[in-house]
Amino acid sequence: EPHLNVSKAKKFTVTEGKHAKFRCYVTGKPKPEIVWKKDGENIVPGRRFLIFEDREGYYTLKVMYCKQQDTGLYICAASNALGNTLSAVQLSVKGPPVRFK
Amino acid sequence: EVAGAPGAPLDVQSLDANKDYVIVTWKQPAVDGGSPILGYFVDRCEVGTTHWSQCNDTPVKFARFPVTGLVEGRSYVFRVRAVNKAGMSHPSRVSEPVAAMDPADRTRKGPSAPWTGQIIVTEEEPVEGVVPGRPRDLSVIEATKNYVVLSWKPPGDKGHEGVMYYVEKCVSGTDSWQRVNTEIPVKSPRFALFDLAEGKSYRFRVRCCNSAGVGEPSEPTEATTVGDKLDIPSAPGR
Repeated sequence: EPHLNVSKAKKFTVTEGKHAKFRCYVTGKPKPEIVWKKDGENIVPGRRFLIFEDREGYYTLKVMYCKQQDTGLYICAASNALGNTLSAVQLSVKGPPVRFK
Repeated sequence: EVAGAPGAPLDVQSLDANKDYVIVTWKQPAVDGGSPILGYFVDRCEVGTTHWSQCNDTPVKFARFPVTGLVEGRSYVFRVRAVNKAGMSHPSRVSEPVAAMDPADRTRKGPSAPWTGQIIVTEEEPVEGVVPGRPRDLSVIEATKNYVVLSWKPPGDKGHEGVMYYVEKCVSGTDSWQRVNTEIPVKSPRFALFDLAEGKSYRFRVRCCNSAGVGEPSEPTEATTVGDKLDIPSAPGR
């Protein structure tokens, strides 16, 4: 596994209930295999986690309707026969604004 | 639109792309608006985003500008605005995209280790799904005693998601519509119906659906009789 300096990971904040879209540009030949991870665990695509390559060729992870527990370190890991590398970001999900009646 | 402002600059191109800079060139606008052009502003936008940022703080005089501060490996498009004492022109047409990379890397053929750019996170508003509109131009394109083939066009206001279809039939003279493909919506705008009762006459209609729901039905077809003779509608114009 490549060395990862977590403290240097860029931080992003999204609001609870909104979608968070992670986009990562990846190069390499042969075309690298991409794995998205959260806090070290592979993300399994599902109803709330969409994983796709967008029209511009960015590898994209979309977390739908973010919850507080989606807070964490997200990694896009790329590997091919010649090596592996990754990029990381820290996501925090903040509660929705409190509404006073 | 500012009266007296110049026209938009023309023919924006990027030359000599490199990993740290790209030289952007353009042609002066056809009209200067009545007073001399004081200079130009160059804007850049990373491909895949909609965020334009201005590259130079003060207008540049010459129709050529080296844009620096690019992220290696990312692609960019450029546009240029002209300014005179009356004000700013509309932006030019956008240049072709160019990647910020050394020419050697651009042409390198061999295998290369993976490289991952910085992950960019954006927040998106969950949009309520929009139920699609009615399919258009539904027609019976083939009819025999064994089957009937329907064809139609997707609705004009199709949402972002894949639209699928439900086909409905109705015995002529009644108003009881029955869904034919109850389980699985069809993906292509074409459907063959079997198991129609011979000698009976039917009308057909189609509804669109997506994850947001099922839309209004199309206009129903004319009544089609299931029979021995081929009941193909005549070609248009005949």
